Amino acid sequence: MSLWVDKYRPTSLGKLDYHREQANQLKNLVQCGDFPHLLVYGPSGAGKKTRIVCLLRELYGAGVEKLRIEHQSITAPSKKKIEIDTIASNYHLEVNPSDAGNSDRVVIQELIKTVAQSQQIQSSTQREFKVVLLTEVDRLTKDAQHALRRTMEKYMSTCRLILCCNSTSKVIAPIRSRCLAVRVPLPSVEEVCSVLANVCKKEGLQLPPELARQIAEKSGRNLRKALLMCEACRVQQYPFSGEQEIPETDWEVYLKETANAIVSQQSPQRLLEVRARLYELLTHCIPPEIIIKGLVTELLSNCDGHLKAEVAQMAAFYEHRLQLGNKAIYHLEAFVAKFMAIYKKFMEDGLDNFMF
Amino acid sequence: MMDIRKFFASARPAVPKAPVNGSSTDEEPKSKKKSASKASAEKPSEKRKRRTILDSDSEEEKNERKHTKDKKDGEQKKSKEKKGPVQYVSETDSDEDGAFLSLKKHKENVAKKMVKGGEKGGTVSSKNRVKSPSKASTATVKSPPTPKQSSPPKPKHTPTSVLDFFGSGAVQRSEKKLVASTKRKASTQDLEESLNDEQIARQLQMDEDMEQLEKQVHEDEEFARTLAMLDEAPVAKKARKDSGEGHSSSASLDKQSSRAKPAGPKTQSPKGPSPKKSSSKLASMKRRDEEEERKKVSSSKKEPSGNAATPKTTTPKNESAPSTPKVSPKKAETSPEDAEKRRGNAAAFRNYLNREGPRALGSKEVPQGAENCLEGLTFVLTGVLESMERDDAKSLIERYGGKVTGNVSRRTGYLVLGRDSGASKTEKAESFGTKIINEDDLLELIRTKPGKKSKYEIAAEAENKGVKSKVKTPPSKKTSQFTPSPRKPSPQKPHTSRNKGQTPKKTSPATTTEVKKELTFGHPPAPEDAGNSLLWVDKYRPRNLKTVIGQQGEQSCASKLLRWLQHWHKNHSGDKPAAQRSGRFGGKDDGSSFKAALLSGPPGVGKTTTATLVCEELGYSYVEMNASCTRSKNTLKEVIAESLNNTSIKNFYTGAAQMVSKKHALIMDEVDGMAGNEDRGGMQELIGLIKSSKIPIICMCNDRNHQKIRSLANYCFDLRFQRPRVEQIKGAMMSIAFKEGLKIPPPALNEIILASNQDVRQVLHNLSMWSVKDKVITYDQAKADAQNAKKDMKLGPFDVCRKVFASGDETAHMSLIDKSDLFFHDYSLAPLFVQENYIHVRPAAAGGSLKSHLVLLSKTADSICDGDLVDRRIRSSQTWSLLPTQAIYASVLPGELMRGYMSQFPTFPSWLGKFSSTGKHNRIVQELSTHMSLRTMCSKQAVNLEYLPYLRAALLTPLQTAGAEGASQAVQFMDDYNIIKEDVDNIMEISTWGGQPDPYSKLDPKIKAAFTRAYNKESHLTPYSLQMVKKGRRGAPEADTGALDQEQESQGVEEEEEEEGLGADAMIKQKKAKPAKDKAGDSGKGKGKGKGKGKGKGKN
Repeated sequence: MSLWVDKYRPTSLGKLDYHREQANQLKNLVQCGDFPHLLVYGPSGAGKKTRIVCLLRELYGAGVEKLRIEHQSITAPSKKKIEIDTIASNYHLEVNPSDAGNSDRVVIQELIKTVAQSQQIQSSTQREFKVVLLTEVDRLTKDAQHALRRTMEKYMSTCRLILCCNSTSKVIAPIRSRCLAVRVPLPSVEEVCSVLANVCKKEGLQLPPELARQIAEKSGRNLRKALLMCEACRVQQYPFSGEQEIPETDWEVYLKETANAIVSQQSPQRLLEVRARLYELLTHCIPPEIIIKGLVTELLSNCDGHLKAEVAQMAAFYEHRLQLGNKAIYHLEAFVAKFMAIYKKFMEDGLDNFMF
Repeated sequence: MMDIRKFFASARPAVPKAPVNGSSTDEEPKSKKKSASKASAEKPSEKRKRRTILDSDSEEEKNERKHTKDKKDGEQKKSKEKKGPVQYVSETDSDEDGAFLSLKKHKENVAKKMVKGGEKGGTVSSKNRVKSPSKASTATVKSPPTPKQSSPPKPKHTPTSVLDFFGSGAVQRSEKKLVASTKRKASTQDLEESLNDEQIARQLQMDEDMEQLEKQVHEDEEFARTLAMLDEAPVAKKARKDSGEGHSSSASLDKQSSRAKPAGPKTQSPKGPSPKKSSSKLASMKRRDEEEERKKVSSSKKEPSGNAATPKTTTPKNESAPSTPKVSPKKAETSPEDAEKRRGNAAAFRNYLNREGPRALGSKEVPQGAENCLEGLTFVLTGVLESMERDDAKSLIERYGGKVTGNVSRRTGYLVLGRDSGASKTEKAESFGTKIINEDDLLELIRTKPGKKSKYEIAAEAENKGVKSKVKTPPSKKTSQFTPSPRKPSPQKPHTSRNKGQTPKKTSPATTTEVKKELTFGHPPAPEDAGNSLLWVDKYRPRNLKTVIGQQGEQSCASKLLRWLQHWHKNHSGDKPAAQRSGRFGGKDDGSSFKAALLSGPPGVGKTTTATLVCEELGYSYVEMNASCTRSKNTLKEVIAESLNNTSIKNFYTGAAQMVSKKHALIMDEVDGMAGNEDRGGMQELIGLIKSSKIPIICMCNDRNHQKIRSLANYCFDLRFQRPRVEQIKGAMMSIAFKEGLKIPPPALNEIILASNQDVRQVLHNLSMWSVKDKVITYDQAKADAQNAKKDMKLGPFDVCRKVFASGDETAHMSLIDKSDLFFHDYSLAPLFVQENYIHVRPAAAGGSLKSHLVLLSKTADSICDGDLVDRRIRSSQTWSLLPTQAIYASVLPGELMRGYMSQFPTFPSWLGKFSSTGKHNRIVQELSTHMSLRTMCSKQAVNLEYLPYLRAALLTPLQTAGAEGASQAVQFMDDYNIIKEDVDNIMEISTWGGQPDPYSKLDPKIKAAFTRAYNKESHLTPYSLQMVKKGRRGAPEADTGALDQEQESQGVEEEEEEEGLGADAMIKQKKAKPAKDKAGDSGKGKGKGKGKGKGKGKN
């Protein structure tokens, strides 16, 4: 028994529900026995990983599904010990180097090199190369990415890299140029609905199309989220009804409350309260970009006219600085303070105009 | 007081020249003297009372004449004088007749023995008050002894009374002189001229002290005596030299001196009668002897007499004393109303916090007053002055010689009242009858008050005169030269005898002089020739344990160390158990169980000096190792271990039979510098040495709580040196300053001492540096210089934060650099503190408008963000040169924008705590996503944002809906996702929001128990090895191998037993987290024991 999202995950390229054309291309790519390095990118919940796993299965057969989690410790030249978890089958190795934080370069250098340098002994029954799957490449430091450049070329004969990330903007150009980029876009609302319907059918449930659409929209076309939501709805109420409320996650609720707190009152005390709430969000490892995005969407609905533009511009400004800075709370707070100041001014001026 | 000195000075000079001879001849032919004395004896009491100042003056002159004659006459007269002074001393203290009477009695007693000496004594008496006796005595070697004996007891009793009369410290000085005179007997004449300076310094300092701290003289008698000795010796010289000028000065004597004189005349009269003058030298000699004998024998008698005098002297005190009692009753009255008052005070304090600064800063012109016009006046400032800052007002007053104290007392001359003044001060002032004036009055006072000569100037002048006289009047020198010769033979013998009486230790004359010399100076002068090349710090290094500043007390570190060292061999000889019994927990604080001592304290307080002096004092020879020696394990072993078992060669020379000398000590200086590669292992070796040492070891360090020292501190007798008080340092510094011919007013010295944070060494260095420029340091200059030399004080982050946002006078004068310097007190913490607290500030610039307040907040937040960006730059690319930029953004700008009133004490930045809990949650999520990665195949972030909430729901719904039956379902789910029990707890932990209890804890304990049981019932396979989980996770046996159930069981038990030890911490933690569940688990375990046994054990 597991969650639907995992239970009904397609395992082969042929069974994919959407982007079939792309799936076919991938299939063709693999069938000729060899393929270049891949850079798979796309938003979260679009099915990147699923596609990659399907690809590997296509490549190596079912053996690739025998996975184990390994714990590796690497000694950096500075004698620093780095611990990292990898997921491996006999044919491939999956690793998220950014788990090592600033030492990700060492992981790239040591771990991948050792894998890449080792030749396959039994090349007759297997492919001549192994696959190394690097996830969250966009979170690699520049150093690590540069370390990757040469490795990619040098060990081409024994190793293929599949890089997986959300956005290529943070992947340096040399790496992008060495890879075949595969974009996995989000499924459309209709696609999400059909997937939801399929899943419900398999579960023996009746899903009203309105609810499916609602879920799809609410999840932001994130299929994983949509499936999870759908299952939550099932737990909450069955049979489904078209108007039933879709349960939200705690942090989303909390974020909305925070935004409402900002709008309802602008004062130093409130700023303090908001700071506490922001801290709460941050300590729950909610990424600051998501926080600021969530805030802005809520705040914008309470603004009108040119204030909207101003707030959006402000948010962009602070989000940018967020990326440049160290301490997210500073920038979030600055954003909130700025909003409060502007909003207060706007409200009072508006009142004045109204009065006269 | 200074005037008085001049008198004396004049008196002595007069001796050689005998300029006054005309008059003196009239009065002073010995016969005449006798008659006069007799006459005075007859009249005594009446005359005393009635005599006018003029009379006193004349008498003094007579005295002087007498002196001159005396000198001419030779020793006899001197001897007479000596006798006289004794009596006088007592009189001087008490101006009242009663005191005189008692004195007379004494004198009479003495007189009978002395007979002839009386006359001179009488004459001297007038001078006595002023120290004249001492000087006279110095002039005549024999005379001093008598004063000594009688005087010593008195000074202690009477100082306050004297103050009452004169208001200035001169009186004290005279007392001390008396004390000193006793010692001087031998040494005075020999003392170098440099002593003059010292004396002056002492006087000044004493004055200061007395004024400031009425009672707090030097704690040490000995020290006091040494001071006194310093004073007197120089005076004597001056007196001789200044003889010519002395008269003129005497004529110009101040009122004070005249006041002092009246007492003198009175005293004279008694003395006159008592001693019958013996013209013959022999007689005088006899008298002396007799006196001495008397003193020896009846030292007790004299002391009583002194006591007798003291009561009288104390009467003045009593007069003053009543006033204090009066005060106290008032306080008592107020006490019942305490509650109300407290409330009032609270309100007042709030007001105080809110009160504005001066409203019209600089509006009033500060007048240019006459120099030292406020000399001797004490002010108390209260409230806000309208036109100047309080600091400015203070320095204004101090510049004109006034003194500013914090509290109203009897001595307070004026209470300067400002706006919002404190009620208590005004009340007090009223009760004391203190004049209450306002700011304008103060300025007026400065404008109108006539200038005075400061006592320091007078002292300086006197000194100058002394110098001149040296040059001008060679004859005086001659006299002084020839006078000594007669003195020496005669005085020495008596000295020794007296010494026996007073200080039994000093037996031989030679030793006595030596000892005296040592004692005389807080910092005994180094040999003059050597002095030039030496740093002051070395030149005036204490040569004696008693003279270490701030270490005279019985409980001081120095004496503790001394005692410890004294008993060291006793404590550590053979019977170790005994020694240990009285050890650390014995309650006795003598450190007898420790083999080593650890002296700790800030630099410049005399740790090393104390240690070496203690060793010298006890005759230990010591080996000193400081940071300049390599002190690694090996070197320590080689160098020290050898020397610890050494015998001293010195003993062979001296012929001491001791084969294994016990008198060694090892001084390990600067042990906190004992680290780094060079000294590797040194600390451990040192501890080893201490354990096995046969000799005492003294270690020294600055920071006792330093990590490096802590292990060592366990083996050491802990002695912590505190910084000496300002007054303690000031005394010593004054004497040095004057020895070096440096003129520095005490308030200026105060500034310097405070600026160097009471570091004696630093003060000395500063003084010596400034003295190169100019021999006279003014108050303003010193203040400015001291400001420059101010040791950079490290502020705590809280203070820094407060200061960043503080408004008003505190920051009004700060430059941009000053403000950004605040940031550098701790550049890693300061921005955090600013960020944490800027919201708490109510900015003055907002003017109460919420809108502008918010705008300011926003601007501040922006600036802080900029600071963060810079911080990122700095830390990512190590561009530390950007720090000042960060200082501006992260500290100065926010401060400028938000400057205002902070409504609460700065709070500690919560960022640090949040950061660490973020880190913890991050680890948890990481672990979870790793565990589940085979199923979820998604990133950490996705797990956190999307999976976790639903995962929790999926886990809990079966339990919530189906209760205990749902447990197996939940466990099944866990297995599917490869998560273990601990992960479940983690999920629950990080999915709680806003402090709400997580739904799992709301479950019925029974259900939880069932869940736990269900989980423990079977072993769980995980695709990951559990060993990688550092927290010693127990639960599923290692399942990678996919072994059979049975095997797993046995393995599981074994492994878990191992883990019990390894993961104790984690287990304990878990217990706390959910004790209820565990208990339930225990009770319900019954059936599941077979498989779940190991786990159960592990848990409990």
